[in-house]
Amino acid sequence: MKLTRFAFDLIVITLTLLGQPARAGTEGLSVVATFSIISDFAKAVGKERIALRTLVGPNGDAHVYEPRPADAVALARADVVLVNGLMFEGFLQRLVEASGTSAAIVELTEGAEILADPQGGHYHYVDGQAIFHAAPYDPHAWQSVAHAKAYVGNIAKAFCAADTEGCPVYVANARAYLGELSKLDGEIRQAVVRIPANRRVAVVAHNAFRYFEHAYGVTFLSPQGISTESEASAADVASLIREIRAKRAAAVFAENIADARLVEQIASEAGLTLGGTLYSDALSEPDGPAPTYLDMMRRNVATLANALNAD
Amino acid sequence: MRKLILGASALAMAASLAGAAFADEEVTAWRLFVSDHAEPVVTVIDALDGDVLDKFTIRGPANLFRSAGGEAVYAVQGAAGVVTAIASGISFDDHGDHADIDVEAPKLTGFELSGKAPSHFVEHDGHWAAFFDGEGLARVFEEHEALEGHVETREVAADAPHHGVVIPFGSHDIVSVPDPADPSKPPVGVKVVDSNGNQVGDTVECVGLHGEATSGNLVALGGCADGILVVRAGSEGPVVEPLRFVEGMPQGRVSALLGGKGLQYFLGNYGADKVVLIDPAEAEAFRIVDLPMRRVHFAVDPVRAKFAYIFTEDGQLHQLDVVAGAITHSLKLTDPYSMDGHWSDPRPRVAVAGDNVVVTDPLKGLIHLVSAETFRKSGEIAVPGKPFNVVSVGGSGKVHDHGGEDGHDHAHGDGLEGHSHHHGDDQIYKGYFEDTQVKDRPLSDWAGDWQSVYTLLQDGTLDPVMAHKAESGSKTADEYRAYYETGYRTDVERIEIGSDSVKFYKDGKLIEAHYASDGYEILTYEAGNRGVRFIFKKTGGDAAAPQYIQFSDHKIAPEAADHYHLYWGDDRAALLKEVTNWPTYYPSSLSNEQIVQEMIAH
Repeated sequence: MKLTRFAFDLIVITLTLLGQPARAGTEGLSVVATFSIISDFAKAVGKERIALRTLVGPNGDAHVYEPRPADAVALARADVVLVNGLMFEGFLQRLVEASGTSAAIVELTEGAEILADPQGGHYHYVDGQAIFHAAPYDPHAWQSVAHAKAYVGNIAKAFCAADTEGCPVYVANARAYLGELSKLDGEIRQAVVRIPANRRVAVVAHNAFRYFEHAYGVTFLSPQGISTESEASAADVASLIREIRAKRAAAVFAENIADARLVEQIASEAGLTLGGTLYSDALSEPDGPAPTYLDMMRRNVATLANALNAD
Repeated sequence: MRKLILGASALAMAASLAGAAFADEEVTAWRLFVSDHAEPVVTVIDALDGDVLDKFTIRGPANLFRSAGGEAVYAVQGAAGVVTAIASGISFDDHGDHADIDVEAPKLTGFELSGKAPSHFVEHDGHWAAFFDGEGLARVFEEHEALEGHVETREVAADAPHHGVVIPFGSHDIVSVPDPADPSKPPVGVKVVDSNGNQVGDTVECVGLHGEATSGNLVALGGCADGILVVRAGSEGPVVEPLRFVEGMPQGRVSALLGGKGLQYFLGNYGADKVVLIDPAEAEAFRIVDLPMRRVHFAVDPVRAKFAYIFTEDGQLHQLDVVAGAITHSLKLTDPYSMDGHWSDPRPRVAVAGDNVVVTDPLKGLIHLVSAETFRKSGEIAVPGKPFNVVSVGGSGKVHDHGGEDGHDHAHGDGLEGHSHHHGDDQIYKGYFEDTQVKDRPLSDWAGDWQSVYTLLQDGTLDPVMAHKAESGSKTADEYRAYYETGYRTDVERIEIGSDSVKFYKDGKLIEAHYASDGYEILTYEAGNRGVRFIFKKTGGDAAAPQYIQFSDHKIAPEAADHYHLYWGDDRAALLKEVTNWPTYYPSSLSNEQIVQEMIAH
């Protein structure tokens, strides 16, 4: 259904743009992706037709990323800049300004069904400090595969707009990848169904899994603003511990983009063990367990199932 | 005292403090702290209007430092052997998408650190280390304690008295290593020591160590004959690695460093008449930029991340585009200040204060202001004596929901004149008041015909307001528009309020109901200030009308509203938690132009 509508959009765009010169030169379409997950989507759609630069690499936290002058240069030279939007990339505005780029800045969450965040944002935990990331709309949409499909659709549209000649290739690549995503979605649902319903409650530090929660029915609890160095943290942790007990959370998980100090503290105070590491806002290194989006989602659901199914 | 005034900013400031305030009102304040080349004095100047706010007498001529957060300015008085902490009076409470600003009078905190020959003074993550060359040790303290005036210092000893440095780095310290043969020579490297004072790992060689800076999560140390040192956080503490010069670079050395703000890079001197842009993550880490003459001083722009500024001995200020790696503008500002003579002769210093680059001209007793946007001279401020070191502190922030019942009393013709003003009023203005001051209000306080400003935002009518905010604020017009897009969003385009009835016009359809007072709730915001919601409960009428409506209009006792933010829904408690969406209404009798004027004036 979605595929059909998406394909239709592409046809419209292709027709609209026919006759315009393709921007891609011999080196391919120059694409900048702000972080590793959308970079992986871009690779799936663009394959060898694009030259890709990723700003925030494996295991990186885009919220605390410091852009460099070379990033500004890359933006200035890019044909297409792929971003998540929804205030995910806090550095984006100043980087775009510094670069003076005329490239299309494509927000990949555009048109996807976005969750408002009743808290007005969420916390990142960096070196023991809680950093509030104000974002009235939850930006972590890729954590639901249905939303990932919207990202892929938007990427294909953007590539087609910038490189009309390559459009059929992008469409074909996107279609094949969307098929893989559908398969992935089914796998995740099956894995979650096998977890007993009363054990589908997990604890994480950084609340990046609300889309996963909505799509697949695993509840995620997370602290609000605890700093491992703050004196108030004992009280804050205590309220989370109460919630963990009330909702009978089954396991606490670390995250690849942050150190595990805070979740270790929570786990020990709640009498739970660490259930492993979830990949939230970034892929792993190429030789790690989650080098692509497909691997990442499979790894996350396996980690969750493994810990939540355990007694 | 002042020749030329930056009128627009000062007026905006005065206006923003005057009259009824908005929930999200933007306040801009910038202050210059200026030391004298010969006298033991620090002068505090309002950078927006040139007024002298205060003048502090200290122990000796000082080199000035400001903290990353800007709450403190430190006067390092090498000859007098003292470091003095001054509270800048400007503080921010960062909320990610915006910051709240608090503006008070600058003052001496009472904190002084004494010792022999303090020189290098370094902040890292809220910890400061003052290195006393004459003693060969650093005294480390935390900024928040310095601001409170009583400080527990921790001493970090190097091996001998020397011109050294200590950089606090989490639970470790980076400490300079003096030349073992002759400590009066420049240091020969650095070592990492843990909290027990034990060295971790090997000494990292850097013969000639001098100069240090932070940019984002990186620290750089300069001076080495063959490059610089770069420090990163590792899992077991700081990791110090050399970043070596490459073949083909001209002869030179980096002995003064600045860290980029907003973009991660370092800017260093390179020989006398060059600078070098350093990006440790790039294959070509060093980019050299030639200067027309020898460098006197430089500064990075914390607002326009793309630019840094360099003053050269021919009296010119240069704008450096750090992305392109090229000088993009030059402006003749002063008579020549030759670099011949003593290194500590009075020569200009550069800082950036909001929209202006600030350059001291010690021999003329002037501070020159240069517009960062146009790179033309925008003003000057006369300062008695020889104004020498300068740092600036400030920015724009929001002042939330200040329920000012007599807001008109806040019209200060001269901006923040005196900074000792409006004690009680000021407290209400900022959202600090006693519960007993809050009084029930009748629905008739909001009686009238009201229009939503959301449509005006959408159709571009409010664009001049956004542009105006962007001029003095910390965001671009587009960012403001996005912020208000969330704030103003509503489908109720018009509201008519009588003595006990409310008519909502939602997408052209009329919904009507009766409401009775349901008291008020005093809300405490994250910043610690407060606001009042006046709540009315439905007593009858259309089913589609909300059970509760809650007004917020910056007033805390009976008085007719001039505009308001309205929250509505069926869950009284849940509604109190809504802080990002605040549909806003102005009298329907106002024209679009009048609303724009009203908003700009406030």
